[in-house]
Amino acid sequence: MVSSNTLHVVSTEVTVGSFAMAGLAFMLAGIASHDLLERRRWLPLADHVGHFALAFGMLAMPVAILTGIASSPGEGVDHPVLINKMFLASTSFGLALGVVLARWRHGRGLWENEWGKRWQSLGGMMAAGLTLLTASLGGTFARGESLLDMLHLPYDQVPLMPVLLSMVLIVAALGNLWVARSEA
Amino acid sequence: MGRWTVLLMTFALLLSPSLGSANPNGVGGGNQDMQCGGACHGDADQNRSSAATVTVEGDTVAYQGLLTSVSVTIEGVETSASGTLGVFLLSSLTGANDLPSDHGWVVLSNSEGEDGNYVERNVPSGTTEQTVTWTLRAPLDTGTYTLHGAIHHGSTNGGQSPYYGQSTTPLTISVVEPPEDLPRLAEDYRPPTSRLLGEDAPLSFQTAFVTEATVEYRLQGGSPVTVQAVSSGEDTWTFDLPVALQPSVVEWRVTLVGEGPDQVTPWFQVRQEAPGWSVDENAAYAQSLALFLTMLAGFLALQHRSARTVQAKHDAFNQLVQGGEE
Repeated sequence: MVSSNTLHVVSTEVTVGSFAMAGLAFMLAGIASHDLLERRRWLPLADHVGHFALAFGMLAMPVAILTGIASSPGEGVDHPVLINKMFLASTSFGLALGVVLARWRHGRGLWENEWGKRWQSLGGMMAAGLTLLTASLGGTFARGESLLDMLHLPYDQVPLMPVLLSMVLIVAALGNLWVARSEA
Repeated sequence: MGRWTVLLMTFALLLSPSLGSANPNGVGGGNQDMQCGGACHGDADQNRSSAATVTVEGDTVAYQGLLTSVSVTIEGVETSASGTLGVFLLSSLTGANDLPSDHGWVVLSNSEGEDGNYVERNVPSGTTEQTVTWTLRAPLDTGTYTLHGAIHHGSTNGGQSPYYGQSTTPLTISVVEPPEDLPRLAEDYRPPTSRLLGEDAPLSFQTAFVTEATVEYRLQGGSPVTVQAVSSGEDTWTFDLPVALQPSVVEWRVTLVGEGPDQVTPWFQVRQEAPGWSVDENAAYAQSLALFLTMLAGFLALQHRSARTVQAKHDAFNQLVQGGEE
């Protein structure tokens, strides 16, 4: 038998490693697509690596979340750091899925679009950054310290919205997705 | 093979190990049967016998509906690296209907300041003996009852085997009818099991056939302090516990005096702890979903808008070119 703690470590390493690689690839893709440093030839490689790594990280992320909940002491999410981890992971997952779906929908031509390439590289890097921040919170929760402690982020404060506002956002987002799907 | 099949298979393979995971950090104290919700420690095909000695001790006579205490002592304690030791008080060893409550007992408190038959302890390295005490209300039916102790633990040198141990001799308790005028705690009285740090409200208890009550309290393992309980109404008594400044477990018991023979209650345990942090979990889950969908929809809308702007520019350019040619 393998404990949920061990599985959480494994799945977290897969998730964080994939997202870190994706973040780096999206940075290179951003540089290449803007013809900076005369590295246009990097674009196809960075494009494929970034999106594949992001997609693989997204496959491992639910496993990391499930094993994380199973290995945390107590019942449910009863610590502000755990709640913030959940929020950051959800935000990162949504952004990463958006980045991958946008690439799938608009194809390679997305990198030829002046604003599209900026949003794509920024979106990929932000998804990676949010996942790294989530992992940093895990270090703070488990060991009381993390590399990103130097940023002095308010881990103990939970920005919780009323359920009604969350429901409004959910309905608005679903409506947006439905309209976008109809237009496609 | 379609890409969705490959995607689903990859996800299933990533998820499958978590379905067979064990709980080396325990499942938390509470009411658990010997099998502990299907844990591998209780499975005879998977477990190994513990080398520890488990002894269950207590009064051999209890009055029906009144309180008594039972202790389970484990000698030769061995645990995994996490130090987690699970200790059970059971009413049978058959693996079914083995909670004390299945035979009429009511667990009021245990030495962890909880009210379940199962206790999890973090055993410090080098410790070889542990004792867990339960305070129980005896069954309402007279007769002879048995109680057993059992343990679940791991080992640092036994691979990842789940260990199981049990008391070789059960504690046999005769539950008898109490004398009519026996000084006693009220039948529906439940001693508190927890108290917040800094709380200075007096503790109260209800009695029957009592004219005088003397309370002793102590920190676990410390010397007892005696105070006189004050009557604060008909059959109601109060006394002050010192304000706790740090998490601890304080024990108290009361000597009840009346027309009948004096009675001393078992030690009751009260866990003194800092207020817990809580949040509306539904709001947190709803917000997580809202963040996920908002980021997804927002990013797709952003890229859609960028693509449309470029398309509009192309269309305008084409129209201009076509207009010029005409």
